Amino acid sequence: MDRRQFLRRSSAGVAGLAMLAGCTGAGEGDNGSGANGSGTNGSGNGTTEAGADSTATTGSASSGGTLRVATYSSFTGEDTAGNWLKSAFETEQSGTTVEFLTPENGVNQYVQRAKQGAPIDADIYLGLNTAELVRARKKLDKPLFQSVGEDLDGADGLKKPLRIDPKKRAVPYDTGYISLVYNENEVEEPKTFDSLLESRYEGDLITENAQQSDPGRAFLLWSIIAKGEENYLDYWKQLVGNGVTVLSDWEPAYQAYSDGEAPMVVSYSTDQVYYHGPDVDMAKHQLGFLNDQGYANPETMALFESANNPQLGRTFMEFVLTETAQSKIAVKNVQFPAVKGVTPSKEFDKYAKEPPETVTHSYDELAGSVESWVEEWSRLVASE
Amino acid sequence: MNVRRWGERLAVPTAFVLTVAILAVVFYYPVLSVLREAVVRAGSLTAAPLVDVLGDPFYTGVAHHLFTAPLSIPAGVLDWIRAGFPSVEFGLFGFTAFQAFLSTLASVVVGLPGAYLLARFEFRGRRTLRSLTILPFVLPSIMVAVGFLAMFGQNGLLNDILGALGLGQVNLLFTLEIIVLAHAFYNAPLVTRLVTTAWESVDARRVETARALGAGPFRAFRDIVVPQLLPALLTAALLTFVFTFLSFPIVLALGGLRLATVEVWLYARVQDLELAEAATLGTIETVLSLALTYLYLRYEARQTTTGGGTTLPRRALAVGWKTLRDPVRIGLAVYGVGVLVLFVGPLVSMIVESVTGPNGLTGAYYEFLLNQQATTAAGTTKPLPAIANSLAFGVGTLALAVPMGIVVSVMVTRGGTGSRLAETLMSAPLAVSGVVVGLGLLQTLVFGTTIAGYRVTAGGALAIVVAHAVAAYPFVTRNVTPALAGIDSQLVDSARSLGASRFRTLLDVELPLVWTAVLAGGAFAFAISIGEFDTTVLLAEGVESYTMPVALERYIGNRSLGPSLGPATAMGTVLLLVTAASFLVIERLGGRWEP
Repeated sequence: MDRRQFLRRSSAGVAGLAMLAGCTGAGEGDNGSGANGSGTNGSGNGTTEAGADSTATTGSASSGGTLRVATYSSFTGEDTAGNWLKSAFETEQSGTTVEFLTPENGVNQYVQRAKQGAPIDADIYLGLNTAELVRARKKLDKPLFQSVGEDLDGADGLKKPLRIDPKKRAVPYDTGYISLVYNENEVEEPKTFDSLLESRYEGDLITENAQQSDPGRAFLLWSIIAKGEENYLDYWKQLVGNGVTVLSDWEPAYQAYSDGEAPMVVSYSTDQVYYHGPDVDMAKHQLGFLNDQGYANPETMALFESANNPQLGRTFMEFVLTETAQSKIAVKNVQFPAVKGVTPSKEFDKYAKEPPETVTHSYDELAGSVESWVEEWSRLVASE
Repeated sequence: MNVRRWGERLAVPTAFVLTVAILAVVFYYPVLSVLREAVVRAGSLTAAPLVDVLGDPFYTGVAHHLFTAPLSIPAGVLDWIRAGFPSVEFGLFGFTAFQAFLSTLASVVVGLPGAYLLARFEFRGRRTLRSLTILPFVLPSIMVAVGFLAMFGQNGLLNDILGALGLGQVNLLFTLEIIVLAHAFYNAPLVTRLVTTAWESVDARRVETARALGAGPFRAFRDIVVPQLLPALLTAALLTFVFTFLSFPIVLALGGLRLATVEVWLYARVQDLELAEAATLGTIETVLSLALTYLYLRYEARQTTTGGGTTLPRRALAVGWKTLRDPVRIGLAVYGVGVLVLFVGPLVSMIVESVTGPNGLTGAYYEFLLNQQATTAAGTTKPLPAIANSLAFGVGTLALAVPMGIVVSVMVTRGGTGSRLAETLMSAPLAVSGVVVGLGLLQTLVFGTTIAGYRVTAGGALAIVVAHAVAAYPFVTRNVTPALAGIDSQLVDSARSLGASRFRTLLDVELPLVWTAVLAGGAFAFAISIGEFDTTVLLAEGVESYTMPVALERYIGNRSLGPSLGPATAMGTVLLLVTAASFLVIERLGGRWEP
């Protein structure tokens, strides 16, 4: 796909990096991508790469080399969990480079690449949720990710409800809990899913489209746990009847909530981490754990079947599960640690609220169902 | 000398072949790679996916009987009549077409008076105002959503004003009305711009002749001016219908899933990687859009318009105290208030959001932009490169799309039978869902293909410019074709008979006559490139090819100031300012360069 990859593959680890550094020299520190601009083919149009299908690994496997981590774009950049992980891991494993890739369409990019036999340019995918893991498996004949087995250091400390993959491909590294955020000046705390159907909450709830939004899908899945697979559509029919609004994604939904369009919104239980202090009206940032629950939406990482250096990948995953990394990720990503007994920071502990009871779906519970659940739900909402 | 003559003779055909080749690689091949899944299953042709979708009442409502049980229809219609004509549902496609129709109507109603004002009146800042009408075109939908929320929301500015005037409240959010308004916000400027251009090219001498022959002002308007405006108006209406038929993010951000369009489902199917159903929805959308385009082009070809000559003189807008007694001018003043509410309101609201924090006025979001620019951290999206890239891609697109558009116009204007069909197929970049184009580019050019043992992929700056030009050139064609068709063919013939090559004639005779239209098309091309998002992120290699809308999108996900849209609105304001400045420059320079 690009010259960088070609360079790396055709020369042994460190030497390749030196060449790369030579190429980038004049760049503005833009993540070492100067190869496109300064190459002979300035446009980068029609660059070729030899031996795309070979999995070339050179040198020793355990130390040195480049680890290519595919993730979502807000995981990297100034003062993010991604950049902390990169520098901390590179310091610990000298000679190692972590390179982030942020494909716009997320893991689908790799599912489609695998389907078409196009090269996979990453070793680890970071930021995978359970439904995506289901999709990646369902759409391909061969597995996209490999199992990391039983012996990953630190994996035994993972919180129970977050261990969503019995086949041990997806390893959780943090989690959010979906809950309601409501304005107690305008409504009383909604305690249960059933209470949302009461007329006093008519037109009061904004949620997100489960077809395209993580919290939206989590809220739908949570309602399926609460009301059962048989009854959830009937429940939603009544909820739509009570004037629920389903917007595209979290941003417009929360913006509409902040502007006072409705007094309740489906959001995260870390809400107060962002909103606290003397100037903030805390009445607008109350958490509603319906049925005393919160739906966990763990973010997981997984090693590609085609990873160049699986050993280095495993070392990285173990590093992510260490206590230091867990608390750093939690604070910078504003998500809860996936490992038990980690205290990210005093402030985080004070304002990030864990639900009394955690619920979520495992891989096996979603496989074969999640698509039709979402489809039937969206048809119902669109037709009402 | 001989070489030069040959060069000139071959110039137009060569450019046309190149244009078709570019389209084939960057558009037809990627798009067909997606849409083929609608009709090909396991290597053989099938109608099953199409029948599945068309026969599904969710998608087509009562029309599904057409595809599942056509023989039952007469009886069904009889039952319906006996039941006293109860209301009929036409499913997702029916609703999508319905909202597109309303949106088109609203865009025409809002856009047309603007064209009248800009084409027929003289006032301070007219040219600037005309340049600024492009602004809504480049705004990402999330910014429009923010602006609309702040303007039309329950606690929005409009309700504050209405409340202060004692006029009560309006609740527009999450309704069909707000979607139609948002679509008018995007598309009424299209109507205004296209019709203004046409109005300005009405030959004043013909109107004078008509008046001298005894026609009243209304008669002269109806017989001379209206036939010139109608093609432009219908073009704008057609484009608006097609765009709003394919509309998607703004619908869900302001209206919600209850008001979903077909494109929402198409996107969801692509997300689920259910590509056969996605392809089927995309195919139906495309066929409908192209059929409309074809019908329109056939109509347009039958119109004979003649442009050029002297422009109609403009009247002064303000004429002292008399201004307040003239019903036309009072009407325009009322219209001005409407424009303030619908266009200036959301834009200003967005700018206000960019300086408003949770606790009042703040410069934090602009400080954020400066910090992003100053940092050396890997993977940071900086504003200045985004601006530079946007402008570079915009200029590149302009340079490529204008010749492409002109060449296609020349070929279809002078072409014989079949050229309507050819132009229809070549306007397809307007009529195909952006989701389909994106998916197609991804699985062809971005993933690449193996040729003789080498993996060939395309990406980077050049690929982005080419993709932008493909999306933009139909705007040039749509502006230039009617203008070219309006040129007296005797002019061209006499130039040719005096020995001028086709290329010389185009350059020295035709283009100067249709320069206003070329400029108008070029402005759209630039705007399309500035506002483009989907193909830019797909074709960007590495992280350095981001543009202003891409930077804006990344700032939405940036949590360093908490989950705030502030940084994005600050970037949106920068986007607005840069675009406004570019357009003032482009249209001033373009006007001066008139050959």
